[in-house]
Amino acid sequence: MSLLEVRSVTKAFGSLVAVNDVSLSVAPGELRAIIGPNGAGKTTFFNLITGFFPPTSGHILLDGKDITEVAAVDRVGMGMARTFQITEIFPELTVRENIRVAVESQAGLRLRPWINRRQTAEVDDKIDEMLVATRLTEQADRLVGELSHGDQRSAEIAMALALKPRILLLDEPTAGMGEQETFQVAGLIRRLHKHTGYTIVLIEHDMRVVFNLADRIMVLTEGTLLAEGTPDEIAANPAVQAAYLGTAE
Amino acid sequence: MLTLVLFNVTNGLILGMFYVLMALGVSLILNLSNVINFAHGNFLALGGYLTFVLEPYLGYWGALLAGPICVGIIGLIIERTAIRRVYDRDPVYSLLLTFGLAFIIQDLCRTIWGPNGLPLSIPNALNSPLSQQFFFITGYRIFLIAVVIVAVAALFGFLTYTRVGTRIRAGTFDIETVSALGINIGLLRSLNFAVGIFLAGLAGVLAGGQIGLNPNMGDDLLLPAFIAIIVGGVGSLTGTLVGGLVIGVASAVTSIWWPAGSEVIMYILMIVVLLVRPRGIMGEEGVMT
Amino acid sequence: MSETTIPAMADRTQQRNWLPLAAIWLVLITVPIWLPYVGGYNALASRVLVFGLAAMGLNLLLGFTGTMSFGHAAYFGLGAYGAGFVLRYWIHSTPLAMLAAILLGTAAGALFGALMAKRTGIYFAMLTIAFAQICYYVAYSWNSVTGGYDGLRGFQRAPLHFGPYIVNIRDNGVLFYYFVLAVFAICTGLMAMLLRSPLGRSFIAIRENPRRTRFLGIPVERHVWISFTISAFFTSVAGGLYALLNNFADPTALFYVISGNIVIMAVMGGMRSFWGPLIGAAVFVTLQDYISSMTVNWMSFIGMIFVAVVLFFPRGLLGFIGRRRRA
Repeated sequence: MSLLEVRSVTKAFGSLVAVNDVSLSVAPGELRAIIGPNGAGKTTFFNLITGFFPPTSGHILLDGKDITEVAAVDRVGMGMARTFQITEIFPELTVRENIRVAVESQAGLRLRPWINRRQTAEVDDKIDEMLVATRLTEQADRLVGELSHGDQRSAEIAMALALKPRILLLDEPTAGMGEQETFQVAGLIRRLHKHTGYTIVLIEHDMRVVFNLADRIMVLTEGTLLAEGTPDEIAANPAVQAAYLGTAE
Repeated sequence: MLTLVLFNVTNGLILGMFYVLMALGVSLILNLSNVINFAHGNFLALGGYLTFVLEPYLGYWGALLAGPICVGIIGLIIERTAIRRVYDRDPVYSLLLTFGLAFIIQDLCRTIWGPNGLPLSIPNALNSPLSQQFFFITGYRIFLIAVVIVAVAALFGFLTYTRVGTRIRAGTFDIETVSALGINIGLLRSLNFAVGIFLAGLAGVLAGGQIGLNPNMGDDLLLPAFIAIIVGGVGSLTGTLVGGLVIGVASAVTSIWWPAGSEVIMYILMIVVLLVRPRGIMGEEGVMT
Repeated sequence: MSETTIPAMADRTQQRNWLPLAAIWLVLITVPIWLPYVGGYNALASRVLVFGLAAMGLNLLLGFTGTMSFGHAAYFGLGAYGAGFVLRYWIHSTPLAMLAAILLGTAAGALFGALMAKRTGIYFAMLTIAFAQICYYVAYSWNSVTGGYDGLRGFQRAPLHFGPYIVNIRDNGVLFYYFVLAVFAICTGLMAMLLRSPLGRSFIAIRENPRRTRFLGIPVERHVWISFTISAFFTSVAGGLYALLNNFADPTALFYVISGNIVIMAVMGGMRSFWGPLIGAAVFVTLQDYISSMTVNWMSFIGMIFVAVVLFFPRGLLGFIGRRRRA
């Protein structure tokens, strides 16, 4: 059974149809990439999955349960974690404090106006775990706003991981990054997928990253599904090649 | 009985006119610049006083226009020198700034023109009641309503049919796109601010002819202006117009059977709107929420 | 590796915080000793603490949750009336007066907060102003209960009874100052604890990035509402103390000028720092006291303080210092 299933969702903003009748099925442990030219509706599609806004029509299922009506904040509790195209972090807090907010939210402590030593220690342990997983231990006590772009992205992913997600949605994790930072973040995603077995859905511009990492790829153009398949199938697909006009590798 | 009803309704209508002028000015500035102008009532008073100063030289009709224009220019100068500097900052700063300006302008008026009321003389032709029975329907009151209608019509005409006006409306809707189109947002906001202050000045002149001038004369109109905006729907100028009229008429109607309740009804209306239709009568989903 | 960095980090922050903290409390505790030499008086010192507490309460919302209220006079004034009602109509007890202050102010904060919770930014601020004005209007008009324009008068704060011991805060200004200081200490202790808790951290997270916070599974609107209510709680404590200090409660405590004053104190002292609002209150209240006794044009001076803070010292006194230390 698929972990995430999107059944022909459509999103219209007035007369503009941003996403038109798109379906998607992601199996547990899969790494799925979503590609497509600018304005293809990729981020809108992500926003529908994570509940940023409701679809005009269609359904979204997590683990067979219809979550179309569930608010974004509650989808997090059901195991959906995301990052954003433009890194969304708490710039004036340290890396550790950024992750702490996520850990405490996940641990159900978010309404507690006090915290005892044992709980603090448990939270600290989990933070350290996330720091190690994202290789941020060295930067733990620096303000996130002062870090490099790649480290900021790693911190954002660490926060998402701290939520103990069943599915991780990453919106262009290497957007605006140089060569080295792209490698850093791609390496992190690969480790998470291969070693820890996270289910990941990823929007990505960098085709090297997509074709190296993804199990399956879906291609969106102008809000509709153009093609879907393994990296080899997608690379050989004439419609995809035409859409990219040779810009894809 | 009929006389009493008409008396209260007329009073409510007049009050509604002031609410509308005041609220439209506050709303213009709020929508385009994201600034709540706490000093709006003090600009109103300043407009009245400037008319008082100009009247001996220009006559009533000249000063009627010159006073609001002068206070509009003063508003423009204050916007260019101070208020524009807080546009990109946390909204707390613009509130504190206009709050401070309100104190300064009020104290200035008090120091120059004294704490007690000053009469603003109006032409005799406007002063006489139209009939014995309806003594409260003076020529001035009808004139006042006519001026407000003309001013509101002119404002909406300006916003609909002139290039600057359409840009102001577009900026209200989506400031980023407008500035991406290469339109000078800073200039647009300055002009818009001046127009808002002009309306306050006009209200000041009209109120001066009605109740005389005093340094606090605008204070009682500021909160009703906020409520008109909330009731009408933040982000919609038409909503503000409707909101101002609604609370004006509601006050009038309430005062027929419960004279003390004319202010209470505004607050009740506001709470009802917040509970039943949080975005306001004409407010659009998602605008400034 | 990380096991060694955590305590080291904690040590460093503790060392850094220890000295200013000790200095603040030393100054506050010794006020009655040195104040007369600098021309102050006990009621002024008490007023600084009262407004300091109000501003610190507001700052939980403004500086630490990133949500602006320009209507905290409502909770301040309701606190004052709550205390006044008990002393005037019911029982001669200072603790019960404070309890009523807290109940009235906090309940209003929770109620109004719920009505505004979905709004943000400037619209939220406008609603806070309107709700405060409702309270002002009620206090002003409901003559038979509130005393209308003249306010609630004819009561006095009651001496405190600890078993056989009586602390006469009614007639002794110094003792009353220490009573205010004790309440202040409890409140600031609670605030400090809150800001170190998961709940407090969620407030800071909302300030830093509401979208991120929502997608960490924290319901932002509900937490803003909680922050608003807690903020109203502390401000209502200050309001209760204000009534005890003056031995009256009148509508000016609910007027929007008080709202503006509380905000400027927080900003002037530095809204990003814990103690900033207290410093702001000390400066503002003292200046106000001095200026209003010096000139009839005190309104212009107060107005200029607002303008100057906004245009030239937007980070506030402590924010300015903090900036330099970090750099």
